[in-house]
Amino acid sequence: MSTFTITALNGVSYAFILFLLAAGFSLTFGVMGVLNLAHGALYVLGAYFGLAVIAQLDQFWLGVVIAALGTGLLGLGIYYLFLRHLYDKVPEQAVLTIGLGYAIANIILWVWGPFAKMGMTPSAFTGVVRVGTLAFPIYRLVIIVIGLLVLALLWWMQDKTRVGAIIRAGMDNKEMTRSLGINYGVVSTLVFLFGAALAGFAGILGTPILGAYPSMGDALVLLTLMVVVVGGTGFIQGTMLGALIIGLLDTFGKAYVPSVALFTSYVIFIVVLLVRPSGLIGRKVF
Amino acid sequence: MAALLEVSGLSVHFGGLAAVKDVTFSIEPGERLVMIGPNGAGKTTLFNLLTGQLKPSGGKVLFKGQDITHKPVYARTQLGMARSFQITSLFPNETVLTNALIALQGTRGGRYRMFGVFTRDKVLRSAAQELLESIDLWDKRSETVSSLAYGETRKLEMGLSLASSPDLLMLDEPSCGLTPTESKDITERINTLGKKITVLMISHDMDLAFGVAERIILLHFGEISCEGTCDEIRANQTVKDIYMGSHKASTAGG
Amino acid sequence: MATRPVDLLLGRLMRKAVAAPPVAAEGSRALALFKAWLPALVILLLLLVLPSFVPSYIQSLVTKMMIFALFGVSMNILWGYGGIPTFGHAAFFGFGGYVCGILIIHGGIANFWVNLVLVMVITALLGAGLGIPAFRVYGVGASDNPIYFLLVTLAFGELLVRVAISARSLTGGSTGLSGIPYPDLGIGVSINSYSYYFLVLGIVAVCLLVIYRIVNSHYGYALRGIHDNERRMQALGFNTWLYKYTSYIIAGMFGGVAGCLFAYFGGTMVPNNMGMAMTDIVFLIVILGSASVYFGPVIGAVIVVGVDYLASMYMPERWPLIMAAIIVVVIMFIPQGVGVLLLDLWRKVFHGSAA
Repeated sequence: MSTFTITALNGVSYAFILFLLAAGFSLTFGVMGVLNLAHGALYVLGAYFGLAVIAQLDQFWLGVVIAALGTGLLGLGIYYLFLRHLYDKVPEQAVLTIGLGYAIANIILWVWGPFAKMGMTPSAFTGVVRVGTLAFPIYRLVIIVIGLLVLALLWWMQDKTRVGAIIRAGMDNKEMTRSLGINYGVVSTLVFLFGAALAGFAGILGTPILGAYPSMGDALVLLTLMVVVVGGTGFIQGTMLGALIIGLLDTFGKAYVPSVALFTSYVIFIVVLLVRPSGLIGRKVF
Repeated sequence: MAALLEVSGLSVHFGGLAAVKDVTFSIEPGERLVMIGPNGAGKTTLFNLLTGQLKPSGGKVLFKGQDITHKPVYARTQLGMARSFQITSLFPNETVLTNALIALQGTRGGRYRMFGVFTRDKVLRSAAQELLESIDLWDKRSETVSSLAYGETRKLEMGLSLASSPDLLMLDEPSCGLTPTESKDITERINTLGKKITVLMISHDMDLAFGVAERIILLHFGEISCEGTCDEIRANQTVKDIYMGSHKASTAGG
Repeated sequence: MATRPVDLLLGRLMRKAVAAPPVAAEGSRALALFKAWLPALVILLLLLVLPSFVPSYIQSLVTKMMIFALFGVSMNILWGYGGIPTFGHAAFFGFGGYVCGILIIHGGIANFWVNLVLVMVITALLGAGLGIPAFRVYGVGASDNPIYFLLVTLAFGELLVRVAISARSLTGGSTGLSGIPYPDLGIGVSINSYSYYFLVLGIVAVCLLVIYRIVNSHYGYALRGIHDNERRMQALGFNTWLYKYTSYIIAGMFGGVAGCLFAYFGGTMVPNNMGMAMTDIVFLIVILGSASVYFGPVIGAVIVVGVDYLASMYMPERWPLIMAAIIVVVIMFIPQGVGVLLLDLWRKVFHGSAA
């Protein structure tokens, strides 16, 4: 029973890291229809860059903010220079961003070397919470809380703000939104900046738990795709659902049936794609 | 003689909204039947149900006595149905000749052949010459379709639909976007098709509709509102109320 | 209208199709055919005598170029001709290589020809198996964005990577399968890296000829028609699903042949040969070379493999950066590919006019 509870808690906190990882991608892919397969690499960059900043300044939260800003700006550059011009050319977007992902991984390798890093848990959140005989790291609870805050923020943005209304309208009909005189270009550029910044934010926050290594982006972008596709494209609550499914499945799989755990997520991913391509609670974006 | 196409109780719903409701009619071989109706009457939806592009929620479609309700588009063509498209639907990057060759290949044997040069197929080439001459485009055979004038693409559009020598030709707004002269040309062309080809057409263009039809069906809110000969339809009060009025209004407005 | 030999050789430009030449009299037609194939014959002859003039490392580089040329052309059946953007084509390449290696090392099948046929059959079966679910999510016509198909094929490739990593006893796990020997032709000639070049040249030439025939056949034109306008093709009576499905199998099969040749060439096969990175490389080869020209991917393969080689000599660690730079330049500035540019240049030089 206690193993089960711990596994469940681990699963949930892992799910929230996945949510943070996928939320930015969900915005740019599900809402704008831009396929940024360099998203995983941006996460890793956020981790390495953030750790370097933290090491320099010895300030955890400042490091987090700077890492998010840095990756956000890089993402902005990728969007403004390239992806903006590849509207509706999804295969080209994919080829380009996969290539950029490997380039970013290579730069990380170049600057910080090939060794895996383990993030330092900020001193305020070291230690564990004890409930009876169970011990659970505080930092994992912090991740869950931050994940919930980001979820609330995005949900509010999606349903209650003007930006949300514009991107929802843009989802339904891009031409129409343009012709209404709404500056869809500026809005989508900002959304992309925000999405990339979220990747870096997730990277630095997730590193104390997942660690980081230069070529990690590959595995991460696949996880991201799984989360977004399984949960459903176009709605942030879909991304949360997808993260919970993949996160819990993966954690429980590894704990109880390790031999097949490597495939379970893929199988779910493929089954959902085939049965309900728009995801469990999503809508068809394309 | 048995009807060529029999439609009974055909319906389709889009999320609770019935776009086509319980439509029943039939077409005799050699007949010219035209469907009219105001915008949003469900003409195109019904058309797509008949061609197989949409799956019906209920009802039956029989073609030559065979149940084709759930047959895919290509299988219907193999049985002898053909359609044209309202929005010109060609192979823009190929030449006029290649367009004809591809169209002719659709219902002929050997369309899975992986050896032999397609553009040198002698049987197909002579058939293509015949087809293109019949629509006055043989001289333009070497031109890429994207360089044709609009009127010419409409002609080719019709030509491709006739390539399978269909028993039932279904025309979706064949005069869409044409000048009155060009539209008259299309009317004439349909009338010279010969009785071996049955024609089902949907059209906004009243001159074309009355110029072609032997029988007219008026569709309104997804249902058959009334049907009859051209004279009966002209005289019908319902038609005047719900269609001609809006037609005139839209003409005046446009 | 003059016959343009170059059109016949390099494959008629699909997007800027030229008129079919009038059927000429027998004698002049034979001449035209000869002229059309002349550049191909010249290239073939050059490749045949090349090993006598260049050092062995160049010969080995050209071997690799030929293998990737076949890999690229096989993918272009789908992307250039059928308009189907698969992101899992590397899966067939790597799978073919693994099947080849496993048959030799674990199956004890030494004979090259038996092996090649088995690889073709097994990769075709893989394509037949994966194609059914994959095309369930592929919409009809250009109005439907093929993104879900792209994601499914990507997932299949990555799934196979994971399978290769965990089936350690068969595949050697994440370090890969190694110790694949040079092929045994069963005719008493021993193959080494020198003679393997000629074997690859022969197999690739035959495969390219077969694919060329396929894309210019009745079947091939139906595939082009589906690329241009799938709805119309259905209305004309073509079972478009069957064409897309079979083209997926055919492309996979030739991709498998390329993978098989690659396995013999390097002697090893690693899981990532089936994954995203390899798919990206083959997509780059196709786009760089021009998807709309038959020989385009060959040009793409020569450039990409060539640059890869130079990079491995001078700055092996920076290859991903160089590749990303090429991708950016190609996609942003020459999206139509180098093949189209070369074709136009060729016409200017030899025919006095650009297309």
